[in-house]
Amino acid sequence: MAFTPKKQAFSAKINAVTLGTGDKSIVIGGENVLPFYTFDAPIANKPRIAVEISDKGLEGCVSDGIKAFYAGCDSVVDMAVKAQSMEGASAICLHFESADPNGENKSVEDCVALAKAVADAVEMPILVMGCKNIEKDAQIFNAVSDALQGKNILVLSAREENYKNVGASAGLAYNQKVGAESAVDINLAKQLNVLLSQLGVPDASVCMNVGSSAAGYGFEYLSSTLDRVKAAALAQSDKQLQMPIVTPVSPETWGVKESMSPEEESPEWGPLDERGIEMEVCTASACLVGGSNLVIMRHPAAVATISKFIDSLM
Amino acid sequence: MAKFITIGERISVTAPAIRRAFEERDPEPILTRCEQQLKAGANYIDVNIGPAESDGEERMQWAVKLLQERFDNVPLALDTSNMKAIEAGIQVYNREKGKPIVNSADAGDRFNRIELAANNDAIVIALCSANGIASDNDERMAHCQRMLEEGLMHGMEAEDLWFDPLFLVVKGMQDKQMEVLEAIKMFTDMGLNSTGGLSNNSNGMPKHIRPIFDSCMLAMAMMQGLTSAIVNPNDQRLMETIKTCDIIKNNNLYADSYLEI
Repeated sequence: MAFTPKKQAFSAKINAVTLGTGDKSIVIGGENVLPFYTFDAPIANKPRIAVEISDKGLEGCVSDGIKAFYAGCDSVVDMAVKAQSMEGASAICLHFESADPNGENKSVEDCVALAKAVADAVEMPILVMGCKNIEKDAQIFNAVSDALQGKNILVLSAREENYKNVGASAGLAYNQKVGAESAVDINLAKQLNVLLSQLGVPDASVCMNVGSSAAGYGFEYLSSTLDRVKAAALAQSDKQLQMPIVTPVSPETWGVKESMSPEEESPEWGPLDERGIEMEVCTASACLVGGSNLVIMRHPAAVATISKFIDSLM
Repeated sequence: MAKFITIGERISVTAPAIRRAFEERDPEPILTRCEQQLKAGANYIDVNIGPAESDGEERMQWAVKLLQERFDNVPLALDTSNMKAIEAGIQVYNREKGKPIVNSADAGDRFNRIELAANNDAIVIALCSANGIASDNDERMAHCQRMLEEGLMHGMEAEDLWFDPLFLVVKGMQDKQMEVLEAIKMFTDMGLNSTGGLSNNSNGMPKHIRPIFDSCMLAMAMMQGLTSAIVNPNDQRLMETIKTCDIIKNNNLYADSYLEI
């Protein structure tokens, strides 16, 4: 007797969220099957890759491949423009690392000026990542969301401590998209979405960052979180977890010793650039099969590889 | 596991205001009660039009259209002994939010409601009694088996038969309560869905006692695997109990605001 596989398409689906405007805008989410289960039902919107650009430019960059890619760029704006040509790139993620009050403490005005300059120069959707300082991030997100009205950007992220501020400004007043960030805590991931929804932010304006880590650095916690979130969203029709998932990969993978330790110190590990690429590829591919709808990455070779990975599984 | 399903019971001709509303085709009292129940979190709404022997078909169609048009195709349980009225209701029923429920069949005079449900791709509540309350669980499960086979024979999926053990009144049948709960466990062990008119158990009790009994009985029944119940969703204690049991059973992921959603 012929074997007939049972299709496992769910009646629930992940919210489809649009980022950016015009021809280059992208839609993430919308699927009603587990990640890449195209044999159960078609997946209309493939997972996407955003390229991370630091507001510090190439300062501190240890990768020759990344430096070579941006050779000739005189500014962060130049880099953002160049990043659009990266094979597999669909969005630009501007990371305000230097805004940290415990570091360079770049002013909110300077952040806004840079964001505007980048937004004027690129056509791809823009993601804005903060410096992890709760108060400063809220200020940056407010000001940048205001300045970039109409660009449909995604701010990363609203957290438990500042969701009211970020949700009310970015999500409500300026009509941008809001990333809700929790750290491998499924209950908090859900709670943040409930709180944003109670604040009045439409579900279709919310993405989730449910945690990030580099492969080998507690990644199994992230992996089980992704699995549980997708299972609740699809199998249990949990509306409060049907937001698409955005995972910052590169800020994690380029901060671990495998990607940073110089070759003279760790000769047995091989070429530095290759290690960084492999860390990004391993981590991003694992996030994607766990259910991330968008991953944030840096290295052009890693972005190209993951892009091929996505296309070949779709 | 899927979340517990609540069927709101408050649109019923046993309430004088609703009886009058059906007779006079006055939408307001019916719409008001439906809205109150949906706001409180009811999944399905029961529409009990009574036997309505003279105008059942027209009355059910009026009610189905009235409620579904106003409340985004809310899924309904069509509750009447009048078979023609149920069929007429299904004819105008929109399935976008869920199949209609035929309320109800039993193993006695209403046995043919199972075929009716099968012919109309509906869910059916299958009351495990014939003519009178089952004397023990052997009898209950014999009724269950017979109705299950009838449904399968007519092409139904087993999941569309929701077996009702018949909740019994505590005041008078206190010694039968555990038996009812054990029957639910037997349905669960067979992989079957289950439901029932929960508030039977607290019939005749003072008003302030009933929510306590309903909540406790419901929690014990959910422990046994009950998958749905016909309830008063505007009983806050009861709804909080259901939401909490759904968390404990891992039917729903916990969040601090779980009672508000």
